Amino acid sequence: MVDVEIKRDRVIIRYKGKKWDWILEPRYWRNTLIWTAFLILFPLVAYFVSPILLNTLISANLYAAIAIPLALMTVGTGRMNFGPNFFIGVGGYTAALLSIAYGWGPLATLPFAVIASLISALLFSPLVIVARGLYYVLLTLLLPLVFLEITFIYTDLFKGDVGLAGIQTLVNTGSVKINFLLSAFISMLLMLVYLWVVNKVLKSRYGLIMAAINDGEEVAHGIGVNINKVKILAFVFASGMIGVIGWFYAHYFGTFAGITYLPLNFMIKILLVIFIGGRAQVFGCVVGGYFIAFLEMILIVTMGPIQPVVFAIILTVLLFALPEGLFGLYRKRRYREYLPTLHVRR
Amino acid sequence: MTEMLKVDGISKSFGGLMAVHDLSFAIRQGETVGLIGPNGAGKTTLVNLLCGSLYADRGEVELEGKKITRFPPYQRCHLGLSRTYQIPRPFPELTALMSVVTGALCGKNRINRGLDDAGAEATHYLEFVGLFSKRNILARDLTFFELRMLELARALATTPKILFVDEVMAGLNPGEATKAVRLIARAKEQFGLTIFWIEHVMAVLMEAAERIIAIQFGEKIAEGTPEEIAGNDRVIEAYLGSGWKKEVAI
Amino acid sequence: MWETLEVVLIYSFILGSIYLLISLGFSIICGVLRIFHLGYAYLFTLTVYLTWMFMKEFGFGLVPALLAMVVVQFLISYIIYKGIIMKYVAREEIILTGLLLVSTIVEQAVNYRYPIQAGVFIQTTLIEGASEFGTVVISNQLLVGAAVALLLTALFILFFLKTRIGLAIRALSQDIYSSRLIGIHVEALYTLTMFLILIPVILGTLIVAPIWAVDPTMGSLYMTTAILVAILGGLGNIRGTIIASYLIGFTHAFVSFVLGEPRFMNFSALLLVIIILMVRPQGIAKSEALW
Repeated sequence: MVDVEIKRDRVIIRYKGKKWDWILEPRYWRNTLIWTAFLILFPLVAYFVSPILLNTLISANLYAAIAIPLALMTVGTGRMNFGPNFFIGVGGYTAALLSIAYGWGPLATLPFAVIASLISALLFSPLVIVARGLYYVLLTLLLPLVFLEITFIYTDLFKGDVGLAGIQTLVNTGSVKINFLLSAFISMLLMLVYLWVVNKVLKSRYGLIMAAINDGEEVAHGIGVNINKVKILAFVFASGMIGVIGWFYAHYFGTFAGITYLPLNFMIKILLVIFIGGRAQVFGCVVGGYFIAFLEMILIVTMGPIQPVVFAIILTVLLFALPEGLFGLYRKRRYREYLPTLHVRR
Repeated sequence: MTEMLKVDGISKSFGGLMAVHDLSFAIRQGETVGLIGPNGAGKTTLVNLLCGSLYADRGEVELEGKKITRFPPYQRCHLGLSRTYQIPRPFPELTALMSVVTGALCGKNRINRGLDDAGAEATHYLEFVGLFSKRNILARDLTFFELRMLELARALATTPKILFVDEVMAGLNPGEATKAVRLIARAKEQFGLTIFWIEHVMAVLMEAAERIIAIQFGEKIAEGTPEEIAGNDRVIEAYLGSGWKKEVAI
Repeated sequence: MWETLEVVLIYSFILGSIYLLISLGFSIICGVLRIFHLGYAYLFTLTVYLTWMFMKEFGFGLVPALLAMVVVQFLISYIIYKGIIMKYVAREEIILTGLLLVSTIVEQAVNYRYPIQAGVFIQTTLIEGASEFGTVVISNQLLVGAAVALLLTALFILFFLKTRIGLAIRALSQDIYSSRLIGIHVEALYTLTMFLILIPVILGTLIVAPIWAVDPTMGSLYMTTAILVAILGGLGNIRGTIIASYLIGFTHAFVSFVLGEPRFMNFSALLLVIIILMVRPQGIAKSEALW
């Protein structure tokens, strides 16, 4: 009757002598439209079903939106940053402090959050050049933890573990539910914009230069690549992008506490978005973000207080069971391309 | 002929070992100069010093009159200095085409070089070395000879003025060796290069080089035309030991 | 002025010795197995909470609980080595993340079962009371800790330098393939190393447990110090680790007593490490070998 044949890059459906084929490629323009439309409709559906779904959706978009610049940073610097939430802290606290002190709205605090992230990234950028691969891992691991300590030390300013409250919310239409829905769309937009930007960068000549640096730094240096400039630019640019997410968290929740975002637990979730979603492939970050957010939500709803333990166990199992990540399951069947993938060098 | 590369008294030591000691020579534009020396003479160290992977302790290096002694490797490349490696160092995860594109893209400080333009240029160089049919194959899947050719293409794509060829004969069978030598000669003609050729295989340099510099233990022991070098006592002693000379003298 | 100097010197010595105990294991694992044991934090948490669990849930006395804890830790180390480290030797990111996850699982599980209010306390004080050194009063337990640290480090050095197995481990840390060629049993020695480093960690944690805080997140606090010491000292080099522990102990003492800001201890240590790394990227150590 209906004959479905799955080939390497397309699905062929035969029915009564007619043949349709559909190309299996998330970046094929029809597929992109389909899943973008789906992503846009989903918040509307969730709005009517349950607020928990909407919240999970926002979480998913934000996890993906943190993982995408992190992937760019990893490819661009050739090292794995184990403390991206440091920049979330920087962006979030800047937005929170400015909003509380001067009563500024989200649009006014945004440029300052970005500038703060860029400056702090520039401050720590020597790490990218000086620290060899695994030293860099360790030092970036420590950055958010030390920042957390500072927020505790200067409790009068940062309000330690209680967190800053009274931040202006992202949108103010009068109805809480509509606010919620609009925030969901904004997070979706943010994530899609990041996806588009980073994909463009990785497919451009800068992506090629980064791939070359990853494959052979000295050789790349010898054929005319200014490796230090490329690495620092990738680091700073990606940090700015991550800082914006901190800004979003601050204005979306109306409160911002370092203890939510700076400890290891949050960082591991982000790392796993990358590893489970698909190693440093930007589309994989979206898949990973949604997967982790929904897994977390399901566990919280069904398991209660033991959720963190089970969550961590499931993530560990998945890390080992899916060495190529979810997206990697798909990508294995494709032809080879030169897109840079995750290389952590010694 | 103008002086392309001038090396003035460079030295480099690693701890207590003096790898290169007070070396001075000059290469004029359009020449093919060979560099020979027994193992451990400091040839690779010298090339690394000239290309920027290492910085000299003392001495000066001048490229077309500009002092490049403290320049990082990428700036030397932008000024026209390129090298190939003794053991080919490709970009293993990039295809052959993309490797050469990297060279074309970054080799000179051009602002608006797009990926497509660089791609077109890269195909030209790939065709020149004969790798056009292999352009979409990952560099780690190429054979040894193809890797050497890829190295050459990538170095040529940076449009150098002077090309350092580091022991390109090593590991090639006679057929491949002839091809490689012819290719380098053609490259020199077609692209107007100056060539600095470090080599172990004497026969190649005898034909190809106009001048040869011989070093041992980091010092220059002879400099001259291939015939002069072949007959030079110190060179023979460096390679064969002093006992040989006594036997030949009979 | 002399009093401040006295306080700073004595605390530098005490803190440095305790940090040495804590960091020695991390550094040796880095040097021998050439990986970062990012899950190192769980060792501290498990030492305390496993003992507590054996005492409370199973009714063991203190000493049987301690023994049971040691056995369980050995088992867990073995499983981690076989399951994670050996399998993914080529994929560092997976090892790093996997070990970090193990540490998180332990921390969350402990937090769930014995949250911070549960009043966990291990009575392992060996010598009660305190001693006086001029104007400085130090708890005897800490003095014991310093002595144990020095003794244990000396034993480790003797082990690595003078015994055959130690020599084999040193060879292993420098080149796996050559070691295999001359008949060194790589996996067995790696497992032995993982067991060896349990000793300073367990002893160190037990000694400071009655004095310093015990809570589910104590692992990350000690781990931060261990990481800083290991990076500063040059990963895997025992000489460097010794120097680095006392340097960081000195920094902490200086910041606490001279600058009067004990809350800045970790931050100042981090600054010190970054500054020294910029001047000397490979850390203090002169060589990459174990000694």
